[in-house]
Amino acid sequence: MRIVGILLALAGWLIPLVGLTVTQSLTARFVLVVLGIGISLIGILGVLNKAHLKNAIWKG
Amino acid sequence: MKKRFGRMKICSCAVVALLLLCGLGAWAQGQAGSAAATTTPATTTPAMDVPLDVKAANPPSTEDLAKGDPEGTKTGTVNDIVVSDTKKGLTLADVVNQVGQNRIGINFTWTLICGFLVMFMQAGFAIVETGLCRAKNANHTMMMNFMVYGFGLFAFWVCGFAIQMGGGAPYSTLGGASSLNSEHVISFLGKNWGVFGTHGFFLSGATYDVGVMVMFLFQMVFMDTALTIVTGSCAERWKYIAFAVSSVFMGALTYPLFANWAWGGGWLSQLGSNFGLGHGYADFAGSGVVHSVGGVTALALAMIIGPRIGKYNRNGTPNAMPGHDIVIVLTGCFILAFGWFGFNPGSTLGASGNGALRISSIAVNTMLAGCTGSFGAILYMWMRYGKPDASMSGNGLLAGLVAITAPSGFVNSVSSAIIGLIAGVLVCVSVELVERKLKIDDPVGAISVHGANGIWGVISVGLFADGASNYGGSWNGVNGSVRGLFYGDPGQLVAQLIGVGTLIGFVFSLSYVAGWIMDVIIGQRVSAADELEGLDIPEMGALCYPEFVLKPEMVTRAVEATSQIKSGFRIAQETA
Repeated sequence: MRIVGILLALAGWLIPLVGLTVTQSLTARFVLVVLGIGISLIGILGVLNKAHLKNAIWKG
Repeated sequence: MKKRFGRMKICSCAVVALLLLCGLGAWAQGQAGSAAATTTPATTTPAMDVPLDVKAANPPSTEDLAKGDPEGTKTGTVNDIVVSDTKKGLTLADVVNQVGQNRIGINFTWTLICGFLVMFMQAGFAIVETGLCRAKNANHTMMMNFMVYGFGLFAFWVCGFAIQMGGGAPYSTLGGASSLNSEHVISFLGKNWGVFGTHGFFLSGATYDVGVMVMFLFQMVFMDTALTIVTGSCAERWKYIAFAVSSVFMGALTYPLFANWAWGGGWLSQLGSNFGLGHGYADFAGSGVVHSVGGVTALALAMIIGPRIGKYNRNGTPNAMPGHDIVIVLTGCFILAFGWFGFNPGSTLGASGNGALRISSIAVNTMLAGCTGSFGAILYMWMRYGKPDASMSGNGLLAGLVAITAPSGFVNSVSSAIIGLIAGVLVCVSVELVERKLKIDDPVGAISVHGANGIWGVISVGLFADGASNYGGSWNGVNGSVRGLFYGDPGQLVAQLIGVGTLIGFVFSLSYVAGWIMDVIIGQRVSAADELEGLDIPEMGALCYPEFVLKPEMVTRAVEATSQIKSGFRIAQETA
């Protein structure tokens, strides 16, 4: 799960970069970058952090 | 009646005559001026190497100077201009060179002194973090903050500086520093992307240069600020050896890489010239480069290391672990606020030319945002929990300062106050989110103060930049001054958001993977026994306060008082 979280975080970063060359539209670029940030946050706070919490020290 | 008409005629004639005379005078002057203008090039082209008559400047004699100068009127005259050829005497070339060197001298002095102020911030961070930790870990926390300076500096000198600034020249305010002129560029999706610099390893070769040294010192203390953020979020449970390796890695690679993209001529700074997004990613003094890089690295490592023993109950509810000295916490906050006057105004890299006089505006913006930041935090805590919390007020001050760091050079004072106020509230909300929802243990609130508010600072440039700043006519190679969404440039906001995406997506991932590998190889966390004993003896070999005996009842009362505030938060949540 940790690897999935990291891959999501990286994918969220790459989406707006690819979007820069795919479209000239400012609105489309804005949407893509917000989408990318959202995906990165899901990867970090949703997937990766959940993987850490699964074996958290206070659960033992 | 006739007499009156006669007087009027005389008066009219006199006025007309006066007007004619004035007109004639003006015409004559114009003729003389144009004549002079036409003859100027031929007669007054200055000969740079002809000796000047310095007597007209009325310099004080040696005898005059021997009497002393209590009024300060005889010191600093034409006598003090450096003459290249003493036989020839003072020439115009000497004067012109002196003017140029004075400008660069002012800029060197300004940037160096601001760098010294930023260096002193290390002391502020050290005592803020130590005060927010428990007494049994004080030596360990203090020593992390002390040695991060050395570890970071060494790594930055070896390769960090070259990666960051090795391709960003010229830096006109510092005389060019022209040897920092090699940026490694890759071609990707049909565009060139600057990735890292390649000149300046060990500050050797052509980078043995006075301008480069100023740049190195200033950038080094910024880098060290980012490194010291991480020690706060991992305090009280981080192996010292893991901290050392992590700091060297961050000073050598993580920080310099993002700093190159933003400040060293890398691809983020070129988003304006390459893709038409405003002036590219604009981060005046480093809300993103310094604070967010530190904040997201702190998040990554805090996740890997995990919470302190006793921080969370089995049902996941958090317990308060109050710091041991609120006096040094707030004193540290003041030291940091003082050092921030080097951080932000110093980022003009000069005080003369290229719009650098805006340092006054930047200093006021810094002061205002810090003030409204602490105001926002204290109000939030007071309204929500019934008490003005001291440590959160300090964090509010720091949050305001972190948030204004990126926009300080681009916004006006009203925007600064708004940015700071939002930061003060944001830090409180973020601390609650990190501690209660995400269950990430951050003893000093570093993730919220630096990570969350650093990102807010980056975004605020894209909103509030007012287009009134002008640092040499362009920013990141795009003419004109930076404007945010509220001042007519939505493209700038998109550039800023791409910077935020890079911080969250790339910098976090790099820090996490590096931290994970270190965890596997050397282990990031101390043993449970060491943690319970306190890290001063097991990790450092000495107690910070060997003659200091904690009274158990005082500790219990402090924990109870903090728990009451926390339970107030739970009740508020349940009611909502």
